[in-house]
Amino acid sequence: MVKLDQINISNDGLTKFFSPIEAAILRTLWVEGEMMTSELTEKTKIPLTSIAGTLDRLVKAGYTARRVDTVNGRVRYVYAPVHTEEEVASEITTKIMDSLVDTFGRVAIENFSKYSDKK
Amino acid sequence: MNILGEINCFGLCLKVSELAPLVALLIVISIGLLAASFMIRMPKHRLLTFVSAQVAAFIAIISTFYLMKCEGMLTIYLYSGYAVISTAVIFGSLRFYDRLMIRRLNAKPIGNVIGWMQEFTGRLANATVYYYDSAVPKAFAAGKSIFVSLGLLELLNDDELKAVLAHEAWHIRNNGRTPFLKQLAIMTFSSPGRGELEKMADRFAEEIAGSEALTSARSKVDKVFI
Repeated sequence: MVKLDQINISNDGLTKFFSPIEAAILRTLWVEGEMMTSELTEKTKIPLTSIAGTLDRLVKAGYTARRVDTVNGRVRYVYAPVHTEEEVASEITTKIMDSLVDTFGRVAIENFSKYSDKK
Repeated sequence: MNILGEINCFGLCLKVSELAPLVALLIVISIGLLAASFMIRMPKHRLLTFVSAQVAAFIAIISTFYLMKCEGMLTIYLYSGYAVISTAVIFGSLRFYDRLMIRRLNAKPIGNVIGWMQEFTGRLANATVYYYDSAVPKAFAAGKSIFVSLGLLELLNDDELKAVLAHEAWHIRNNGRTPFLKQLAIMTFSSPGRGELEKMADRFAEEIAGSEALTSARSKVDKVFI
């Protein structure tokens, strides 16, 4: 999912490109900026058992960065988005356009220009 | 020899052997012990009974093979090969498993970050505690090492962490024996008494860190420390 290799056109919003949990995490981080794990579970209302593995995946895929904070002998993760919402939007659209042009060639490009004319 | 011939040989050799009743007795003893192990509640005794059942089954298998008089029996070759390979894997690989995990998880000694955790564990077992980068709360023991994820460290309080460390330390203290249990389970085509081992580790953790700490650690991260 996180690699943007699957698209579900019938889904809503970001869940077309990300899993619902991934989308919830990304949206929350875009709004809040830096967040601790406990804040993330509170804000998204997703339990830790469901969110933890997804956070690992998002970090690995480069959508989320995290650093380890040590306070009073306790460690905790602090998460932050790597890209802005616009950057991710641009990445997704480029990828999809590439794949459309790749598959349909001239027809895809003609439709893009028709589309931008309409706009 | 084909399969039918081989089955025939088993029947024939057992029929003519004077020791066949002994094999039958061993099988009965094994089944009896297995049934008894289901009824025993105390984990330690339950495990001992279960292992005795496995030993009886193993002796029954070996003595059956011993009684065979036919030449070139495929089953015996297969079982011997199975024994050699599994012994090599169990006793060989387990020794390097923690080295492998340290490299794969890019784990680092916890002593540099949270000193008390290494000291606490050091008093219970001859083990090094490592942490690794993952939000998924998890702890496990391998060889002479205990691994905890950063997700576990941020989720649990000190008392709960002590309960987890004591649980894992129990595994390390008994790691010298667990390969034999695994090997015995493999040789008798059964399962090692894992559930009992976990319960015994939990008993130890309760003694060291208190049952409250263990219960709250378990409720926060059920089934993530094994």
